[in-house]
Amino acid sequence: MCFCSIMVRKRVIKMMFRCEWKKILSKKINRIMICAAAVLAVVFSCFAIGSVRYVDKNGALHTGIAAARKLSADRNRWEGDLTAEKFAEIVKSKQKLAKKNPQGIPDDAYGKMIQSYGDIESFVINVVLNDAEYNENVLYQMTEKQSKELYATYKENMQKMAGEYGETPEQVEFLKKQYRKIKMPLSYQAKDSWDTMETYVETYGIVLAVIIGFLASGIFAEEFRTKADSVFFAAKYGRSKAVKNKAAAGMLMTTAVYWGGMAILTLVSLGVMGVSGFRTLYQIDQPYSMYVMTYGQYYLLMLVCGYIASLFAASLSMLVSAKMHSRNIAAGIPFFLYCLMPFIGRMFSSVTVVFRLVPDVLFNIMANVKNLTVFQIGSIVFRQIPAVMLLYTVLSVLLLPLVYRSYCRYGLRPR
Amino acid sequence: MELRFNDVSKDFAGTHAVDGISYAMGKGIYGLLGINGAGKTTLMRMLCTIIQPTGGEITWNSSNIFKLGAAYRDILGYLPQDFGYYPDLSVYDYMMYIASIKGLRMAEARERIKELLGQVGLLKYRKRKMKELSGGMARRAGIAQAMLNNPQILVLDEPTAGLDPNERIRFRNLISELSEDRLVLLSTHIVSDIEYIANEIMLMKDGKLFYTGTSEELISSMEDSVWHCTVPKQEADGYLERYLVGNIKTTAWGAELRILSKNPPTKDAVRQAATLEDVFLFYYGEKAGDKDDVSM
Repeated sequence: MCFCSIMVRKRVIKMMFRCEWKKILSKKINRIMICAAAVLAVVFSCFAIGSVRYVDKNGALHTGIAAARKLSADRNRWEGDLTAEKFAEIVKSKQKLAKKNPQGIPDDAYGKMIQSYGDIESFVINVVLNDAEYNENVLYQMTEKQSKELYATYKENMQKMAGEYGETPEQVEFLKKQYRKIKMPLSYQAKDSWDTMETYVETYGIVLAVIIGFLASGIFAEEFRTKADSVFFAAKYGRSKAVKNKAAAGMLMTTAVYWGGMAILTLVSLGVMGVSGFRTLYQIDQPYSMYVMTYGQYYLLMLVCGYIASLFAASLSMLVSAKMHSRNIAAGIPFFLYCLMPFIGRMFSSVTVVFRLVPDVLFNIMANVKNLTVFQIGSIVFRQIPAVMLLYTVLSVLLLPLVYRSYCRYGLRPR
Repeated sequence: MELRFNDVSKDFAGTHAVDGISYAMGKGIYGLLGINGAGKTTLMRMLCTIIQPTGGEITWNSSNIFKLGAAYRDILGYLPQDFGYYPDLSVYDYMMYIASIKGLRMAEARERIKELLGQVGLLKYRKRKMKELSGGMARRAGIAQAMLNNPQILVLDEPTAGLDPNERIRFRNLISELSEDRLVLLSTHIVSDIEYIANEIMLMKDGKLFYTGTSEELISSMEDSVWHCTVPKQEADGYLERYLVGNIKTTAWGAELRILSKNPPTKDAVRQAATLEDVFLFYYGEKAGDKDDVSM
């Protein structure tokens, strides 16, 4: 009997959920928004693919569909462990070419050699320069011995970085612990497709969050806009399950739109450019980043952060529309959070720690993985990105009971 | 089966929209009659648990309806005055959604929707979008949604507002058909909507129920107070100022007036049988010369 009742209830909820979805999709503007998200995914993919530059052995520049694959093939000449010998060979090659061409390296020479080791060359420069501004000249002054001892320099500088950025012994130890996770020698594989995707994933993520916010804001405003609120609240589940169901539909819509859009972007872009470099360590690009991860993990991190940001935007939009009974302000929340907030955040981030925890951090992973920003509570030290991820996941979930409460208590005031 | 108002009141920013109403209802059709702004909609919205009373309580079989919550709403059907719907949903999808939030199972909902849409004459329009329905059709969809859960209490707030005479008659008959074995509370400011179908009529003014009874009782309270007389055309305005005039008909011989008055307005005035419309005019009507009370 009890089991039957649970099954019946489940079926009712399923039916309610399906109807709620139909309600969302029945609106023309919502369908247009979802289609726009899909079209923009393809457009962004085209931009990403089109942004890759490959120079052939004759110095001719190539762009377009084939460029990314050719660039990867060229760079994968150096695939495998980055040994001291490889560093020495690259440094020597670059010095020789620079000496031979004091007016600047010609395009054919770039296409023949320099392009292939561009990533490794910048890794060497970044390791030696430590925290200083990027300067190519450092490469021309390096001796063969220095090239061969690059990993020793790297380790030594890690200690320095930890000491410099760690404000307490716990933070210093924490940074050292992160650096110890870097396995040497580093393994290399061309990672241009992932590199290229960085900007597009984050920008497209913001577009999706704005679209999601718009869609989510309508879920709790619809009854008031159409004056269907009286029938809704007079229904058996109008102040309970139907409200929970709306929130659940909002979350599912967020998940479907976000991951659907990102799937199109990822499949189209990486389908064309390839997935070379999935296991390449991110430290090739940023040797002193405390986020020790491969490019595949880095990409996944950006996707997950974008998802959390979208969930937060959806929850907040739903809360505001549930409180105000209108979508007007609610629909603009993601735009404020992710398009305007970064400017405010950047102005005050050095002044107050709060601005390092604003939600737009989730759409600025590209910049924040480079920072050695750590927080400490008592003896517990943690990094900025996981902290922000946890904070906004929790907030997204915690806002839902508030959405529920403010909506289902409509018209009922304590006497 | 008893729905009871116990000294119910509702204030909006210092205004008494509903002012200390006490009344009990059982099975049958109850007509709530009052002019716009009398407090009918506020009373009905409280009855449907959409807004909470400022004072007093509403009980269903001795339990407070707000405490009963979902259990009470499970036996409630409501067609609001300003019936809003989801314009982009088809009639069928709209009904399915309302069925789902009323807790009907899929199979049960399908069956009930088919039955009700047939009853209100919308079955062949089930695939049409709600926004494409005419006013009358939308109202019929409204009553169908209110009936989905086969409610014991059916609340209809001005269900005939904006309908043409044909639609109004169809609607009245439909309500009469649906009223069996349930409590139907129907509010209106159109007397003919309830004259023949309501078992009991409640007159509401300034947030108060000031008269309740059957149609016959109300009419009998007006006996000997309705007159028919013919006066010269040029004197008609004077009568309009002095008396409550239900009807004026200009003829070649003068103006034929239907007047509400305890005393005959003219020597040759002929006494007429009162109707519910006369009662309505008596309580809510205004003479051409005043704004407030009616003196007889």
